[in-house]
Amino acid sequence: MIKVEHLIKKFDEKIVLNDISFEVKDGETLAIVGFSGSGKSTILKIICGLLEEDLGKITTTEGDVAMVFQYSALFDSLNVHDNIIFALQERKELRKKYTTEDLDNIVKEKLKLVGLEGIENKFPSELSGGMQKRVSFARAIVTNPKTILYDEPTAGLDPISSTLIEDYIVRLKEETHASSIVVTHQMSTIERTADKVLMLYNGKCVFKGTPKEMCEAGNEYTKQFVTASLTGPMKMLAE
Amino acid sequence: MEQIRVFFKKSATYQLLQILAEQFEDFITTLGEIAQRGLKTLMCILTGQINWKEVIEQSSRFGVSSLPITISIVSMTSIIVAMQVAGEMVKQGGGNYVGLLVAMLTVRETGIIMSGFAIISMIGSSLASEIATMKVTEQIDAISVLGVDPVRYLFVPRVIAGTLMMPPVLIIASTFGILGGGVASTAVSELSYKAYFTSVWSGLFIYDIKVALAKAFVYGCTIALISCTCGYMAKGGAKGVGIATTKAVVWSFVAIVIWDLIFSVAFFF
Repeated sequence: MIKVEHLIKKFDEKIVLNDISFEVKDGETLAIVGFSGSGKSTILKIICGLLEEDLGKITTTEGDVAMVFQYSALFDSLNVHDNIIFALQERKELRKKYTTEDLDNIVKEKLKLVGLEGIENKFPSELSGGMQKRVSFARAIVTNPKTILYDEPTAGLDPISSTLIEDYIVRLKEETHASSIVVTHQMSTIERTADKVLMLYNGKCVFKGTPKEMCEAGNEYTKQFVTASLTGPMKMLAE
Repeated sequence: MEQIRVFFKKSATYQLLQILAEQFEDFITTLGEIAQRGLKTLMCILTGQINWKEVIEQSSRFGVSSLPITISIVSMTSIIVAMQVAGEMVKQGGGNYVGLLVAMLTVRETGIIMSGFAIISMIGSSLASEIATMKVTEQIDAISVLGVDPVRYLFVPRVIAGTLMMPPVLIIASTFGILGGGVASTAVSELSYKAYFTSVWSGLFIYDIKVALAKAFVYGCTIALISCTCGYMAKGGAKGVGIATTKAVVWSFVAIVIWDLIFSVAFFF
């Protein structure tokens, strides 16, 4: 479960998030949409502890919070095997739990889950963008997290790779029963992965509902987003 | 009054003061970050949170990779000094002091300073750009999200490696420096090897060697800590990496010169 109550975040004098509240139950996926710079990634960074909130309260189910980064953020000096088991090797409380054989089996199991068997010894620079993203999925779930955050998981990928990634998000939700948040711009990702949608504009929540309601409701903001129209209540930052 | 304020804000004096204020703020921030990361690194070391495998890898980077360039720079400096003074000193009847001068200069100053400069240029810049790239590509964020302390993972092995590897690098480079000085002295003057090395022995003091080794420990630690911190503070993209690397090199150069001054005042006056 992820519960965010009255979240406020400022960068210098600029209010990036203004009184944002939502709840994601266990096994549910929330999609956060909005313009670039509307504070979507900031919410994820606050939930996983990379940034501190100025005001408000964040509650998550006890356990690890995992994050899949926009550009994968794989460690380029480590091969796929070492990337995946990084947390298990480096965290004091986990290090002694696993033997080398256990770690090898975990890597094989996680790579099988994301459909990338046999690439343990490759380095991130030898993989395509889609493969890197899938390896970062494997790395994120290695500690069996209760909360998974996806920062634009399909950004920069071709439509087929995007569909594959969306399938993994759904599969991970079903297998781990974790609460997930997906930050995205793509309607296909929202429709295929999300149970609920939250739309941000200028740091404020302008829509909360299901993907179906987003497409059907008479909300001017969602209408503009879905139809990708230049006319509507949302103006680009330069305007 | 308002017009005066607007006019003043557009003036060159105001712009200059603003730049100075920004640079001062950046200076204080960087100093604070170095102190904070340094303390955290020390705490990790004292509590035994050390990844020895990574320490060995970083030690190889500090000690082995940098050795050829360090030896070259220190040797050439000693050769230049010997070439400048040997001929003249022999002519003036001071041939017995050429080895003493080269040895003393190499052990007390040029060996450690030139080794420091070589390590900063080769290893410090590489450390800073590596960590800065990790920062701007969110790899350091990924380390934190995976529940690992970035200071423990990145700073501790590098600072230990820098501190431990600088003394052996200094000893090897200074030895080559003194040997190079001998070759140059005998080549440009009528000085014999025997006279040169007899003079070297009379100029080598255990006290000087101890101070040089203490300097090496401090410089190695300082270079690694500053380089890691400047990399860690990087912002933005490729430009941020460039700025962080330049900052690491400049700060490390200035820091070791300041340390050198402190050591000179503390141990040789």
